[in-house]
Amino acid sequence: MFIVRFLARRLLQGAVIVFLVSALIFTLLRVVPGDPVRLMAGGMAPEALIEQIAEDMGLRDPIYQQFGRYVAGVVQGDLGQSFVRPANGAAVGGASFDDSTRGERAEVWDLIAQTAPMTLQLALLAMAFALVIAVPIGVWGGLRPGRLPDRIALYLSSLFVSLPNFWLGIVLALLLSVHLELVPAIGYEGFAYTILPAFVLAIEIAPFIIRTLTVSVAGVMGQSFIDIAAVRGLTRNQIVFRHAIKNSSVPLLNLLGVQFSMLLGGVLVIEFIFDYPGLGLLTINAVMQRDFPLIQGIAIVTAAAFVLINIVVDLCATAIDPRLDY
Amino acid sequence: MALDTATTREALLSVRDLTVAAEGGRVVLDRISFELKPRQILSVIGESGSGKTVLARALASWLSAPLHITGGEVLFEGRDLVSDPAHARSLAGREIAYVGGNPAGALDPTMTVGAQLVEKLRAVRPDIPAAQAREKAVRLLEAVKIPSAERRFHEYPFQYSGGMMQRAMIVDALISDPALLIADNITQPLDVTVAAQILKLMRELNENFSTAVLFICSSLPVACDAADEVMVLHAGRVVERQTPNALVVQPGHGYTRGLIEELPTLWEGGPEGRDTRQDREQAAIMSVRGVAKHYETRGKSGKALVQAVRNVEFDVFPGDNFGIVGESGCGKSSLMRLLTGLERPDAGSIFFENENVGEASPRRLRELRRRFQLVLQDPYGSLPPQSSIGSIVEEPLKIHRLGSRAKRRERARAALSEVGLADSLYDSLPTGLSAGQRQRLNVARAMVLEPRLLIMDETLSALDQTEQGKLLDLFERLQAQHGFTYIFISHDLTMVRRVCSRIAVMYLGETVEVAPNERLFFDPGHPYSRALLSAAPTLEERRYRPEDCLLEGEPPSPIDLPPGCAFAGRCPHAFDRCRRENPALRSRGGQALAACFLNDETPEEDRDE
Repeated sequence: MFIVRFLARRLLQGAVIVFLVSALIFTLLRVVPGDPVRLMAGGMAPEALIEQIAEDMGLRDPIYQQFGRYVAGVVQGDLGQSFVRPANGAAVGGASFDDSTRGERAEVWDLIAQTAPMTLQLALLAMAFALVIAVPIGVWGGLRPGRLPDRIALYLSSLFVSLPNFWLGIVLALLLSVHLELVPAIGYEGFAYTILPAFVLAIEIAPFIIRTLTVSVAGVMGQSFIDIAAVRGLTRNQIVFRHAIKNSSVPLLNLLGVQFSMLLGGVLVIEFIFDYPGLGLLTINAVMQRDFPLIQGIAIVTAAAFVLINIVVDLCATAIDPRLDY
Repeated sequence: MALDTATTREALLSVRDLTVAAEGGRVVLDRISFELKPRQILSVIGESGSGKTVLARALASWLSAPLHITGGEVLFEGRDLVSDPAHARSLAGREIAYVGGNPAGALDPTMTVGAQLVEKLRAVRPDIPAAQAREKAVRLLEAVKIPSAERRFHEYPFQYSGGMMQRAMIVDALISDPALLIADNITQPLDVTVAAQILKLMRELNENFSTAVLFICSSLPVACDAADEVMVLHAGRVVERQTPNALVVQPGHGYTRGLIEELPTLWEGGPEGRDTRQDREQAAIMSVRGVAKHYETRGKSGKALVQAVRNVEFDVFPGDNFGIVGESGCGKSSLMRLLTGLERPDAGSIFFENENVGEASPRRLRELRRRFQLVLQDPYGSLPPQSSIGSIVEEPLKIHRLGSRAKRRERARAALSEVGLADSLYDSLPTGLSAGQRQRLNVARAMVLEPRLLIMDETLSALDQTEQGKLLDLFERLQAQHGFTYIFISHDLTMVRRVCSRIAVMYLGETVEVAPNERLFFDPGHPYSRALLSAAPTLEERRYRPEDCLLEGEPPSPIDLPPGCAFAGRCPHAFDRCRRENPALRSRGGQALAACFLNDETPEEDRDE
């Protein structure tokens, strides 16, 4: 009963958020300078043709009408068609307005559906790496606040947080791919291509996890139920692994939710450096080509993912700590 | 040697010359020696700082840095625990169980109580299968009278009330069948009526489970109630050990004598009290009529109404010392917020000098507050740590734009000297002040506006006995000089008995009785008042016995109140009508009012004077 009401409420709130995000993006995109039709048809296309295409596509209608049409499509699962990308997957860009082979334009939904799983894979692996690195360090630091492990955790996270990801990406690619030939770096031809970018991302996320964990583990270890557990006869392992870690995982969970959403939204720099065919790369190209429908589609999908992840995080948090009430 | 084995066989616990010191060499426990026989209950009392809790922790192998044992031995069943820490650790939680004074924080909030009881039993006795451990936990939860134990087993700690949680912690301690239970201040955070039940329970358990108990507490009456023998600790030493009766009649040590003399009494000294007959012709300074306030909470099961204050009625006359007593959750603090206009009542009215506080505009309310002021409970949270003492006292004058700079300073200084704070403190921060000094400062801040009414919300409950006495003297002096009227909101019956002229008793948001001091203590008109009196810690011969006045159980939740009288579920005299109808406050004569149907049966001529 609780779960049904919870989901109904949160999904409704989520729908409102996604609607607002799309309205905002839609409006802003049409306010910024630059005519997408010019980009689509190519610099050489005559003015009359441009106007005609624009009329045909409804781009000269008032914004609210355009938005209404767009929303009507989205509700039916139709995110529209890319302005620039042809369906047959030929090279992007619109130099030739009269090239008939490129008349059919790609569906935004298909473009996202092709790239999103790649980003999901990258994000999951990055998360896994980050947890493997950060959890032992963070817990260890939290168990001995103010002592050496705590300081090691602090120094390590300062170090990690101050490494620029583009620099680390390039250096690791040089070292591990070019010199040692351990992992491939550029493009994507198999799972191995995910490892290096995921590792670079993990180093970027790890400091936040370490800090959150040291603080919350130290906080929990200072509480009286931990203090008294030893007198009640529990062993140190039971205290740390069954009680301390469980109690300190709620703040961590919230952090992971936010971090994971950000990863899913597309890791622009890393995907660009490694030429990784994920949402990030798609976003960069869409922005550079003023591919409005694609940008909108990505925004909507990302916002929806953000909403869903937060719902999952809150559900997990309530499962861990029944006092929480969302 | 032969003698040695003989004594150790007899004693379960034998402590010899136990000395505990802090890192710097400061001795906290000084050559403590005593013995505890199987099944015996021994109370340990002493003021804060006397080393009671350190003793409890030393015996439970729970001393943490900077404290450590520097000498002596602790023989448990003949084996020394000091020289064999590994053995001591293996006994912790199994043979030597510990229950502390903070039941609310004693269990992991994210696991059910039952799961943690099973976890504990299996941690100290891994040979017991899980199903059996579970069965035992439920059986013991029933034994400590937790209602519907089977269901409660699956609930989380936050779903337990304070009293129930303490029962669960007692189960947690007893589940491994320990030979020794160390009970460190277990009744301290509990309300008197609940504490009385816990004490009774502990005695029963001691008989049924043959566990020896070391009962540590800071209240002499409670210690005497609980134990076969009382050991007095003073400045880290055992100063005497006697049976409760002998101790009270013939205290052997000066410290104990002082303790007994200082103890305030409820009935001794006759029905004089501090009673002053009111001049009924005089208009009431504050008049509360049918006030109610509810709060909305949102839980997992949807919205719920907490009926914090339901029906409160009383009048306070000029020069009165009006007391409002009741246990936690009875709505005292919500009522305080209504009286001071911090919140507005949902129903009813509060008149201060014939003006309705509940309906006054915010601006008018601020003007009214010049004439009624509030002093709070927490001496630490109620003072801004970054302002100097002088400016704290001057601030109310600034807010109300009274006087010039120099004038304000002068008045603040005068107020400080009146409450007994040195003039030299004027420019320093409140950081270094003791709790008692802080409350004096709070009083100075309240009285600098020269109000007519001071509302004291548990102002003295954070202070020790001696400091309380000094402040009460101060209040009396200020009243004589300035003609203040006081409202004391408190849970402490002895304090109320000492200072108040008239007292309102609250139970679950209602005033169940309003009576002059002597009448309330000698002829209470409501069964709940009797229950409170029966549970109050005192060494005197009780006029009311807990067995006659209070049934098992705890107050119902203010979220779903039963129909009829809220006390009916715990009242030994409840009859059918009490469960259908809620009695209203009715006069019993002599300015005493009570809300109980039983009073209707008293003869008519007794009632009116």
